[in-house]
Amino acid sequence: MAQHVTVNIDGVFIRAPKGNSVLDAALDYGICIPHLCRVPYIQDTGACRLCIVEHIVKGRSKVTTSCTLLVADGMEIISNSEKIRKLRRNIAELLVTEAPNSRAIQDVALRCGVREVRYPFRNNDCVLCGRCIAICTGRFGEKAIGFVGRGKDRRVESPFDLSTTLCRDCGRCIDVCPMAMTPCGGPMNAGEERLCGNCESQMAFAEETPGFCVACDLGEGFQCERAPLS
Amino acid sequence: MPDASFSSIMEGRRSQPHQLIEVLQDVQSQHGFISEDAMKTISSELGVSLMEIYRVASFYKAFSLTPCGKNVITICTGTACHVRGANQILSQAVGQLEIEPGETSDDGLFTIKQVNCLGACALGPIVTENGDSHHHMSPGRLRRLVKSLYKADTEDSPHDKD
Amino acid sequence: MTRINSTVDLEAMRRGFAKDRKEYQATIALCGGTGCKVSRAQPVIDALKEELITHGLDKRVCLRVTGCHGFCEQGPLMIIEPGNIFYCHVSADDAPDIINKTIREGEVIERLLYTDPLSAKRIRTVSEIPFYREQNRSLLSQNPLVDPCSIEDYIAIGGYRALTKTLSEISPESVVREIMDSGLRGRGGGGFPTGRKWAQCREAPGDEKYVICNADEGDPGAYMDRCVLEGNPHLVLEGMLIGAWAIGATQGYVYVRNEYPLAVEHVRVAVKQARKLGLLGNNILGSGFSFDVEIARGGGAFVCGESTALMASLEGKVGEPRAKDVHTVVDGLWHKPTTLNNVETWANVPFIIQKGAAWFSSMGSKGSKGTKILALTGHIKNTGLVEVEMGTPIEKVVFDIGGGAANGKPIKAIQTGGPSGGCLPADKFYLPVDFDTLTEAGSMVGSGGMVVMDESTCMVDVAKYFLTFLQDESCGKCAPCRLGIDRMLEIITDITNGDGDPKQLGLLEDLGYTMSETALCGLGKTAANPVLSTLRYFREEYETHIDEKRCPAGVCQALITFTIDPETCNGCGACKRECPHNAVVGKKKAVHSIDLDLCQKCGICRSECKFDAVNVN
Repeated sequence: MAQHVTVNIDGVFIRAPKGNSVLDAALDYGICIPHLCRVPYIQDTGACRLCIVEHIVKGRSKVTTSCTLLVADGMEIISNSEKIRKLRRNIAELLVTEAPNSRAIQDVALRCGVREVRYPFRNNDCVLCGRCIAICTGRFGEKAIGFVGRGKDRRVESPFDLSTTLCRDCGRCIDVCPMAMTPCGGPMNAGEERLCGNCESQMAFAEETPGFCVACDLGEGFQCERAPLS
Repeated sequence: MPDASFSSIMEGRRSQPHQLIEVLQDVQSQHGFISEDAMKTISSELGVSLMEIYRVASFYKAFSLTPCGKNVITICTGTACHVRGANQILSQAVGQLEIEPGETSDDGLFTIKQVNCLGACALGPIVTENGDSHHHMSPGRLRRLVKSLYKADTEDSPHDKD
Repeated sequence: MTRINSTVDLEAMRRGFAKDRKEYQATIALCGGTGCKVSRAQPVIDALKEELITHGLDKRVCLRVTGCHGFCEQGPLMIIEPGNIFYCHVSADDAPDIINKTIREGEVIERLLYTDPLSAKRIRTVSEIPFYREQNRSLLSQNPLVDPCSIEDYIAIGGYRALTKTLSEISPESVVREIMDSGLRGRGGGGFPTGRKWAQCREAPGDEKYVICNADEGDPGAYMDRCVLEGNPHLVLEGMLIGAWAIGATQGYVYVRNEYPLAVEHVRVAVKQARKLGLLGNNILGSGFSFDVEIARGGGAFVCGESTALMASLEGKVGEPRAKDVHTVVDGLWHKPTTLNNVETWANVPFIIQKGAAWFSSMGSKGSKGTKILALTGHIKNTGLVEVEMGTPIEKVVFDIGGGAANGKPIKAIQTGGPSGGCLPADKFYLPVDFDTLTEAGSMVGSGGMVVMDESTCMVDVAKYFLTFLQDESCGKCAPCRLGIDRMLEIITDITNGDGDPKQLGLLEDLGYTMSETALCGLGKTAANPVLSTLRYFREEYETHIDEKRCPAGVCQALITFTIDPETCNGCGACKRECPHNAVVGKKKAVHSIDLDLCQKCGICRSECKFDAVNVN
């Protein structure tokens, strides 16, 4: 029988099993904390930094990723303060300007409050979220792909392009990739750096009620556990 | 890949995954680079997946996945050397050898590498080649050094018949 | 040498070694550190050896090849006792004179003496040289006294006494308390209270614990750890032994960056010697305490100076940091409680145990106790390693010890703390070298690197330099660091190319704030510091680049043009010869000119021209 602890997230007291992360606890309850690199049941690494929250300890607040912070009894967490929303928006802006053609990433960015962007759009086909690797290695134990190189050169690759021998063609990596959906025909023109907001998410609600989580259709694999509004 | 040298590198390290970096360093210093074959051998001897070895070999600057030139010219671009004009020395090397840092010349004689601080900061700018270190370098001194290395290597060549 | 089994035996051995040392009629302590090796100290060593043998003096005169003395630009250098005579810029040809005149006759050789750049006088002894005299060389004073590859030397001068005192008189808890009372804070850059770290690790549950010495020293321009580890490895080992005793560890690691081959070699030799004597291994000095050390080399990654990345590297993995919601003192190497400290931090421990916490905390300022070794480099007369009490004003370091500007141009700024630190303008040089003060001012003490910059330095270019460095070294795992540094560099490059926009300055600050709050590790969190500090203190330079498309210091290549003044050029052809891009045209003895299409703005022609005929607009 698992032990349970009580944590306070945004003023709500939640009972969560010991060993769960704050992100797990929040999502289970229905508090949506935006996230990108998380793949359920696989150890989170805190790479995308979108799930940041304020962890209040002895009156002082520390910004940390909720996916790597394990629940503890009496913990106090704020997931949607103005500070967090501003920081999260800035991170989402960095991600969406790397790969603006991905509907999933656009949606995450819109949900994080990005409208105008302040950087020129790039046209990358990978944001290094690591979901493909997490599912390949973490879930299935295959070691066909991994992060290779460092810093700006970081990329997802098979060693010496040996994907034909190491990969089993299960297709799970494609299932979870935010780029692997019909690309948006939208904001790729220089000088028009703005997200049009015409993707499937219900942005009207989000604009009128800041901090309100909306169910959005990010595509299979990104389904937030919270029930849709309508 | 000569098996004898590999045995000595793997001595005392078999089935110990945490020795990966030490093993790669020995392979790098003995063979000048880490080849696909070498990685496959290390994979089976250490019990580490090929993916993991490839990751480690591509992450650390000490390892090269392609063979280096005969003379590796390493230019220090640490802060102290930078304020003393390391950029000019890099410019000299790039202009003279017609390759960018990290690349090897077509004749296989030179590779230019950058390093971020060797700890001899008071004597910068520093350039090392073939285990030798040169201090207070200037673009002119580098030009003469490269010329002398080139001369030494091409004079030894039996094909130099003109 | 046979294994020592008790502290009594160690003391007897020590008395023997000390006596042997006293029997030499003279000692030549010659620096064999990395810097002097580069300056070709080896031929000097060989020549002196030969000369001593020729005169039958090799048994009566001690030629001790020591570690780094810290005054590298003067090398090859030596100190001769008796007399404390300092010779610099020594070459192999000077060996006969040194032996015949100084050693045999006691005569001082004027031409080998150090000339003070300020007074232009020749100085005879080390203690009179202003560079050394103004320092407080608590830690570094041992370097000239020991051959790093000789455990006998270390024992003879009192080494391993702190260890014997610890094992026989002080309980582990008391050791922790002593370190806490001393106020020692981490010397690697974090400045975390060492005693508190040890206490937390000691309290962490688990039987298997580790201590690690972080000798990755990645900050470019910093070489303090190189000097200590290369020159006095036993001091560091002794510190680790005492720390291991205090927290309950039985295994330690020294992680040395592979760009320091001499340090790797010396610490390996030191470990072998300590093992042989029984100072490492089982049942040390009969105390029941067992501890051993393994040496590991880095793979060339600045990020491996971060503690979790270093531990990943020790485990044979990629050097990617991990989240530190649970600290490494509880969950560290192999998920066991681990105490990781910097080389200089470990080196302070034996002194604190021997001389007491009160001695240590009597030095320094309120929040920063003890001394700190700084690497003073850049546009300054006396470059080298400087050890001063914490709380010493920057201006004392720059002017009294450093001797002031090297090239006659006024000093503009000092960059402290490496790529995680920042730049402080000259009017802030009254600030003390103190952890909290410098952090508040927008920079940091960091590991101790201090680069002096004169007005020929463009501060926007300095920010660009550090961003380029960090872009190369970032592990790339987290978005704020990987993408943040990239976008910052994109913006700064625009500014240095004359394509900047005033709005970008606010964007840089917003982005910097985001990185500092949300990046996963210290590298990302502090990556914006060089940009933010130069924006804070040198904003006009940024504005000039943006508004006037001009680089005031004449550095940013896109904004400058090189031309040859036809009035001054005498056609010597030096520029044409030296230009690596074949951009200079002109016939012999005729005025030369620069082909602007081929010119890469490297500036080599300007530095080579002896007639000041090359202009930068």
